[in-house]
Amino acid sequence: MATKNKSIDSTNKGKLTESVWKKAFTANTEWPDKEEFLDVIYWMRQAIGIVLGLCWGLLPLKGFLGLLLFVVVNAAVIYFYVNNFQNVDEEEYGGMWEITKEGFVTSFAGFLVTWIIVYTGLHGDTL
Amino acid sequence: MWSDSLLIVFISVCTAFLGEGLTWILVYRTEKYQKLKVEVERQSKKLEKRKEAHGDSLDKQHKKKIEREEERLKNNNRDLSLVKMKSMFAIGFAFTALLSMFNSIFDGRVVAKLPFYPISWIQGLSHRNLPGDDYTDCSFIFLYILCTMSIRQNIQKLLGFAPSRAASKQGGALFAAPPAQFK
Repeated sequence: MATKNKSIDSTNKGKLTESVWKKAFTANTEWPDKEEFLDVIYWMRQAIGIVLGLCWGLLPLKGFLGLLLFVVVNAAVIYFYVNNFQNVDEEEYGGMWEITKEGFVTSFAGFLVTWIIVYTGLHGDTL
Repeated sequence: MWSDSLLIVFISVCTAFLGEGLTWILVYRTEKYQKLKVEVERQSKKLEKRKEAHGDSLDKQHKKKIEREEERLKNNNRDLSLVKMKSMFAIGFAFTALLSMFNSIFDGRVVAKLPFYPISWIQGLSHRNLPGDDYTDCSFIFLYILCTMSIRQNIQKLLGFAPSRAASKQGGALFAAPPAQFK
């Protein structure tokens, strides 16, 4: 199941190698290297931010509801992934809050950029 | 309007690469920086482990050891910041000039339409130098800041220039890289 080759170099660089991809999509994987798991969470967050930004822009969702829904969906997906899919002991990472914080600001900024640009492109000129 | 927003995204990707490239030439590739970085990371991890193992114990010897290591880490962090500082200033100046140039190009132009109504303390940024009272109009600077926040940080991480978690946790604000160059 889990390939236990610790690729310290790759995790230091923050990139996801092929084996990490495999581990990320396999349920109940063991994560001997904490940094590796946090990197997975980080990049997952960025992807969620961009995907949600695209969806909200296409719909289009507007106002405070859009922002609130992003925060809720983002936190819920990560919570589900950590607790139900990977079954990771959150205390090892300093509690759920530490995991929830991982990459949040960057993801939020990425979400806003995508949302604003898609919204402007599709609906900006008609306003 | 849309072409302006896409242009701003493109500009921030370029400036992020330029910034990282310049920092690589001036800082990251130097031997001194690399040595210090490895040392700080090693010490941070060691200290974290030691704190986890003996965090609650009241043993004076352990406490002293932890304190000594913290002191050493602090010194190394300070050295690392000093190595970075000079070039950061140079890059900071260059980017301030670039930013003011873009600012004047996009002055008074609505570059995007915000899908939300910004709260009052953000309106100063999001509606900077824009005519009219429609606060869903977005100025260059607001979009640029958002782009930089997401793109620069991700590029840093992708290229492996972002400080490791252990180091930023132990080093606190001193070692944490500033997210953007829009001062």
